[in-house]
Amino acid sequence: MLFPSFLNILKETNMTLLECKNLTKNYGNHTALSDVSFQIDAGHIIGLLGPNGSGKTTLMKLIAGLLGATSGSIYVREEPVGPGSKNIISYLPDHSYLDGNMRVQDIIDFFADFYEDFDSLRAYDMMAKLQINPRQKLKTLSKGTQEKVQLILVMSRHASLYILDEPLAGVDPAARDYILDTILSNYDENASILISTHLISDIENILDEVIFIQDGTLHTHASVDELRERDNKSIDTIFREVFKC
Amino acid sequence: MLKKLLKYEWKDTRRLLLPINLAIVVFTLVGCVMLNTNLFDTELGVVLALCLTLFYTLTILVFSSITTIYIYVRFYKNLYTREGYLMHTLPVTATELFHSKLIVGCFWSALNAALTISSFMALGAAAGFHAAATEMPDELSSLDLPSSIAEIFGYPLPFLLLWMLLLMIASAIFSVLMEYLSVLLGQQMKTNKLAASLVIYFGIYLVIQIVTSIGAMLPSFFFTEEALETEVLFSMVSQILRILFPSMSLFYLVLGIIFYLICRKLLKRSVNLD
Repeated sequence: MLFPSFLNILKETNMTLLECKNLTKNYGNHTALSDVSFQIDAGHIIGLLGPNGSGKTTLMKLIAGLLGATSGSIYVREEPVGPGSKNIISYLPDHSYLDGNMRVQDIIDFFADFYEDFDSLRAYDMMAKLQINPRQKLKTLSKGTQEKVQLILVMSRHASLYILDEPLAGVDPAARDYILDTILSNYDENASILISTHLISDIENILDEVIFIQDGTLHTHASVDELRERDNKSIDTIFREVFKC
Repeated sequence: MLKKLLKYEWKDTRRLLLPINLAIVVFTLVGCVMLNTNLFDTELGVVLALCLTLFYTLTILVFSSITTIYIYVRFYKNLYTREGYLMHTLPVTATELFHSKLIVGCFWSALNAALTISSFMALGAAAGFHAAATEMPDELSSLDLPSSIAEIFGYPLPFLLLWMLLLMIASAIFSVLMEYLSVLLGQQMKTNKLAASLVIYFGIYLVIQIVTSIGAMLPSFFFTEEALETEVLFSMVSQILRILFPSMSLFYLVLGIIFYLICRKLLKRSVNLD
């Protein structure tokens, strides 16, 4: 019995985790994404970088199954987006999305009920470290704490792909450190993280790859080391040069 | 997964809808007790009775409206606003999400309708019983209520109750599906999705009202002058009542099935949370 499961693990590890093929998304006459193609393998942290309105959030929402593509396709472990992909993707939107009337412990129960890979103990442990009372209603917590609760919930899953949309936006530098630490210390090494942010200098040290998006098109998809060596500059500097206004 | 969705849907909706429906039961019980006292026998009592009747009717109307609005808002808010980011990233199908909301929505809608009608009937019966007991005690003792009901409605009492229950369930399914369909159709628009959904809802509502009003007027064409002067009228009314419950139930059921099929077709399209 061990041999087939080992083969499955090996197969999953080598399998492309995420593949976007010729992805286009139009909102009426406006094209948010145009013919975007790339793939992500397991075990990488990828920065999705681009200026405001470049299509980062649209791309993440398409992968999470919250938007339908105008054309093109997305495959997560060779399966189209659906309940199967949602079972292995842990998604953090760029805004609050939980019912403020729920208590933190009720939200933890909710996640534990629906996601097989959710680790309640890990969630309670992180809440305790932040001195968040699980009996408190979400709406009674400060905005920053609510954001941390959302991040804790997302990172308490043993997912294969984490999609984090602007997890550092609007938080103070100390909280940024906490968030990055939470992300790094809680993801499985076979999992991948797709993270979007404007605060490149804060995260560039943890990135393996970057994807630059400009006006809805894929500008660059390369490994961080490759880019640094090629241009002899930091990712932050390269970003500023590419997207100079 | 449907079981889990149902559990949370029930848990969330009961916070508001359970107290509302319990309040109807309490109002009815208190009303029945009050109607069997001599509280309303004086002139001042009549004024009090009028005020209480007005208060009761308005409250029941508000409770019924809250139930309808809440089911609509809950479906929209939970699936198509920021809460939709959580619901649509759960490892469940869109159909499972829809069914969980449909089952729980229909339950609350049917319960509210059943309690409202039962409340009216109970208070009407209590008032009638009290009046008959004080003014015509002899006639009351000889009254054969089941036979009278069978004569008027054309059904024995248990069948009448069964038909009423079926009608309530059919109308609950129909009304909840009409709400959900309007939300889903509104989501197909590029902008102003909520406004579009409300316009669609009231549009469908208006068309249904016109159709049912025409349907309700149809029997009047058979009332000849001769019929109005004779006992034929009583028999005709009884016949109309006899076909009213099955035909209305069928009407709501057929529309409900049509709405459901359209909803299923719309659910196959990708969700688009802006």
